[in-house]
Amino acid sequence: MNQAQSSRFQEARYAFYLFRRNPVVLAGAIISMAALILSILSPYIVNPSLWRITDLTKRLCWNNHMINWGIRNVFDCGGSTYILGTDSYGRDLLKMIIIAIPLDMQISLEVVFSAVLIGVVFGSVAAYAGGIIDEFVLRITDIFLAVPGILLAIVMMVILGRTIPILTFAVLVTWWPTYVRLMRSQVLSEKEKPYVESLKAIGAGRFRILFRHIIPNSIYPIIVQATLDIGSVILTVSALTFIGLTPSPLLPELGTLASSGAQYVFTAPWLTIFPGLAILIISLGFNLLGDGIRDVFDPRLRR
Amino acid sequence: MVFVLFGLSIIVFYLTRGLLPPNTALAPYITPRMDDAAKLSLAKGLGVATSACQSFEDFSMGKSYCITPLWNQYLSWLLTVLSGNWGYTLLPGISGSQTTWDVFAGRFPFTAELAIAASILTIAIGIPLGIISATHNNKLPDHLSRIVSLGGYSIPQFWFAVMLQLIFVIYVNVNGQGLLPANGALATSCAICIPNPGTISTFTGLPVIDSLLSGNISYFWDSLIALILPSLTLAITSIGALTRIVRSSMMEVLRQDYILLARSKGIKERVVIYRHALRNAILPAITVSGLIIAFLLGGAVIIEIIFSWPGVGQASLSAAYVLDINFLELYVLVTALIIVVANLVVDIIYAKIDPRIRY
Repeated sequence: MNQAQSSRFQEARYAFYLFRRNPVVLAGAIISMAALILSILSPYIVNPSLWRITDLTKRLCWNNHMINWGIRNVFDCGGSTYILGTDSYGRDLLKMIIIAIPLDMQISLEVVFSAVLIGVVFGSVAAYAGGIIDEFVLRITDIFLAVPGILLAIVMMVILGRTIPILTFAVLVTWWPTYVRLMRSQVLSEKEKPYVESLKAIGAGRFRILFRHIIPNSIYPIIVQATLDIGSVILTVSALTFIGLTPSPLLPELGTLASSGAQYVFTAPWLTIFPGLAILIISLGFNLLGDGIRDVFDPRLRR
Repeated sequence: MVFVLFGLSIIVFYLTRGLLPPNTALAPYITPRMDDAAKLSLAKGLGVATSACQSFEDFSMGKSYCITPLWNQYLSWLLTVLSGNWGYTLLPGISGSQTTWDVFAGRFPFTAELAIAASILTIAIGIPLGIISATHNNKLPDHLSRIVSLGGYSIPQFWFAVMLQLIFVIYVNVNGQGLLPANGALATSCAICIPNPGTISTFTGLPVIDSLLSGNISYFWDSLIALILPSLTLAITSIGALTRIVRSSMMEVLRQDYILLARSKGIKERVVIYRHALRNAILPAITVSGLIIAFLLGGAVIIEIIFSWPGVGQASLSAAYVLDINFLELYVLVTALIIVVANLVVDIIYAKIDPRIRY
């Protein structure tokens, strides 16, 4: 092991040590891991087609005596205990949330991965090439940054159709410019560093310098931003489905579940509280993790 | 700047005109008693139908010889709306009775009021919280402010809104009435509201300011109370964002040598923080405030829907459903204009505060 490698290894070990020592970051890592694992295991825990089965005799039931809502009209429908009650279609809310988490995670990961990909490619090329290409990419991002994202998504979903792929696309459309900007600014500062000069001097090609050296060196802020954004995308997606832009009101998606419960919020508050709480916990987990990664890997903020 | 507005209008125009049947372009301009011939000449007048087009039927079926190229449609649309002709509104309930411009102008002050209130809350809570967090690094106030900022950043706004309604309308009640109103821009039925506030005359369109100008204190009180829950919901995310930014930039500044020098000269800690550190630490926060305005305006759509707030955001969802494309264009363009101007203002303030920056 040469010296450079060993120092890098030590650095990683130190980072990992800081990571473990910080309880907040650890909590974030655990929550986001749990969300990912739950998304993978969900089909094995709960039958994924259970959401189609409705039973109107069991709607809006609450037979978990641990929580007393202090509201009239809460009724017990007997049978097995529904820990989180039943929804307005008579389905077990806990099972619906477990089915819903993978869908939200999938949309969020798709949006973030695509945005990162677009950002890394266009941002780095714009910064590295400079000139008219840079100007063009910047102006395009300007346009998309000036539009209220929710509205563009609403228009797209109303016109193109209310489906999950279009929802994903509509969110992506307003999400990618941030990454282009971020990557561009990173590469701009990175390409002026002496090592790029020396790479040029030893005759490395433009693409080799860009893709093998500059991009790997400027990817950290992107990773942090992506981690933070996984939560934010879930928030945006669920907000869109909450206001009714959902393929079906029956669909187990966290925003849709909360939305179909919102009209009963004064008689059956659990319908809104628990799906929203699930969103909050997942999003908080990824935000804590992203925050922690930044603190750990950014030496200026180390404490 | 102009480029951004043009680019945006092209995108929305393509989405609405390019992907929808040609009839939707006429909808805002059609009056109830128009026959097909009149509609056809209207379509020709608006530059949607070609002069070669023979019958309205061919036009509405989208026969290619009847429809002008999208680019030409865009240009004639631009000329129409720039001359102030935005057509009649298609919003449900008032469809055809008011012009799109009037509806927009009547609703916009409500959105502005909400966004301004939320900005005030954001700055009033976010900046002090960030400062406290940085000066009490890793102590209890820092952890608390971290929870507030991360929580605000992670909380679904729509859920927070519903929870606030649940708490203040159902659980916290006085004499069987909720403490705060659940929705609307004028609260007349809640525990601390004044039932009959009377009327006010319109000066600016913002109820809070207009009521003060008309000297109607009960109206002022009622509209102020109605603002509490929506503006808090709208601000919660940006409070988190601002706190984080102020904290990290403050921490970086506090580590600089000149702070050490100021402290070693024996200057009071308060003066060091507020006179020496804050001036430099606030710069990134100002940059972000431009983005925050954009965020508040965009976020207003959801909040307005949940709180039945009579602003433009709430109407834009209905406008999307009834394909009122002129309303949507107007909304997007005005919002984008505000965002672009806000960014410009931020740049100017930035240069004013930081003498090192001179363009």
